Amino acid sequence: MKQRQGLIALAFLAPALVCLAVLRIVPAISAVVESFYTESLLRGGRVFAGLGNYTDLLSNKDFRQSVGVTLLFTVLVNPIQVVVSFLLAVLFTQRAAGAKLWRTLVILPIATPPAVSAVIWSVIYRPDGLANGVLERLGLPAQPFLTSSSQVLPSLIVMLSWIGVGYWMLFLIAGIQEVPEEVREAALLDGAGPWRRMISVVLPLVRRPLAFVLVADTVSNLLVFAPVQILTKGGPNGNSNLLMYDVYTRAYAIGDIHVAQAEVVILVALTLAIVAGQFRLLRGDQ
Amino acid sequence: MKRASLSVLGGAVGILFFLPLLWVVTNSLRPGSETFANLSPLSWQTFLELRPTLTNYSALLNSAIGRATLNSILVSAATVVIGLAVCATAAFGLAAFQFRGRGLVFGIVVLSFLVPFDAIAIPLSTMFRDWHLTNTFAGLVLPGIGNGMAIFLLRQFFLGIPAELVEAGRLDGLGWFGVFRWIYLPLSKPALIGAGLMLFLFQWQAYVWPLLIGTDAKHILGPVALSNLQGQNFTDYGLVFAGAVVLTVIPLVVIAGFQRYFVQSVSSTGLK
Repeated sequence: MKQRQGLIALAFLAPALVCLAVLRIVPAISAVVESFYTESLLRGGRVFAGLGNYTDLLSNKDFRQSVGVTLLFTVLVNPIQVVVSFLLAVLFTQRAAGAKLWRTLVILPIATPPAVSAVIWSVIYRPDGLANGVLERLGLPAQPFLTSSSQVLPSLIVMLSWIGVGYWMLFLIAGIQEVPEEVREAALLDGAGPWRRMISVVLPLVRRPLAFVLVADTVSNLLVFAPVQILTKGGPNGNSNLLMYDVYTRAYAIGDIHVAQAEVVILVALTLAIVAGQFRLLRGDQ
Repeated sequence: MKRASLSVLGGAVGILFFLPLLWVVTNSLRPGSETFANLSPLSWQTFLELRPTLTNYSALLNSAIGRATLNSILVSAATVVIGLAVCATAAFGLAAFQFRGRGLVFGIVVLSFLVPFDAIAIPLSTMFRDWHLTNTFAGLVLPGIGNGMAIFLLRQFFLGIPAELVEAGRLDGLGWFGVFRWIYLPLSKPALIGAGLMLFLFQWQAYVWPLLIGTDAKHILGPVALSNLQGQNFTDYGLVFAGAVVLTVIPLVVIAGFQRYFVQSVSSTGLK
């Protein structure tokens, strides 16, 4: 009986299992396998290279810079986005006139595909674009933004936060709304420093969605590609050359697919390491 | 008093987020030659156009972006229909049956969404090249249909359907597919819509994959076509902005139409 059930279940599961195996798991395994091979011109076809691709990468200056840029970007963008999303979630769950409308305006950019946002911001950041128009209005000097080695990462972070903060805020709003209304109202009305109270009462109660947002945001930021490819091509001087873009150029511009596979493996390993670290940290201070 | 200041603060933040989009919409309604005309100095005309024209939008119809947008709609729609069929049957297989290895199968599902798709896009694209799927609609749709997260979401919902209903259906002579089709599916509308949205947005927002696998004129998708246009020397920004508006409004309408389910699926993936 149980065996028959298994067969029927398998029939229902088969299409999805084939998809997941062929389109997710096999390529992941193939990346690992291929990363140990190299193309040989002498012998034709591929030959086993051991860790050769990895040592090539580690001794490559551009790759090392790319790792550094990616780590710097990760350390900056994630705390900024999580803190801003949380503060906005707190702000937009207060009873205030128009809160629903203002909240909707913050969420709107999540409908814009990342590549389309990148195209929009490429115009905003032009020397004669909207960003410098705003600075001029405020009496501030024009800035180079994407063409400056020091401003390129902050400029990307502003753009990515415009896209992402509304999305992460949704999870935190859902979490805050799980907190009983009386608790929130009591915290709010309890005299001095309502914001401080709000944060000290609400923060511990939304730990789970907050942890989820931190981890999911970190993963998505480690995979940022479209803005780099569209806005900066990794420049100037490699200062926005995030790993995902470096993998792409290595595979298609440089054409070394095996080294690119090794870099994919490193990128995924780095992602897992950072996420594992975050989990430990979050559990640690509980 | 305090509520009023919260309201002002919220309004300021909301408008700040909205300004770039407003600027894009405004410039999509004026000729491309005027895109940079109202920026120095900034004035209300930067963000409002009193004599709007739809010429950019009519030009869009005959441009590469028009065709690409239709491709995006086609690919996303196919992904949602096929993907829902594949994911819902799988979720039913996981939720309705007791069998040895169920834990293992569920583990594979979870594992598959822990590996981020963009990271494996490059190895997968070399496989697709060998299989001659480059520049085909099948090549664009396939990666979207087996979505571990959608299976997970549907399974959670299916687990809540009482076993008595299934037994009653079986006694009435329904086969297992009948149970799935006539009992599970009708009861699971919210979860199906949530999963459908997930499949749709995955495909609509995709960039890395369509860039790797479908860039010829017949198969190019909206975001790729738009970024190609932006990279040219003499760009008509009126056209670019009109394209950006169309590519944003379509998912916006879909999300707004199913807003309740969108927020539900978002919050349940975050909390459970």
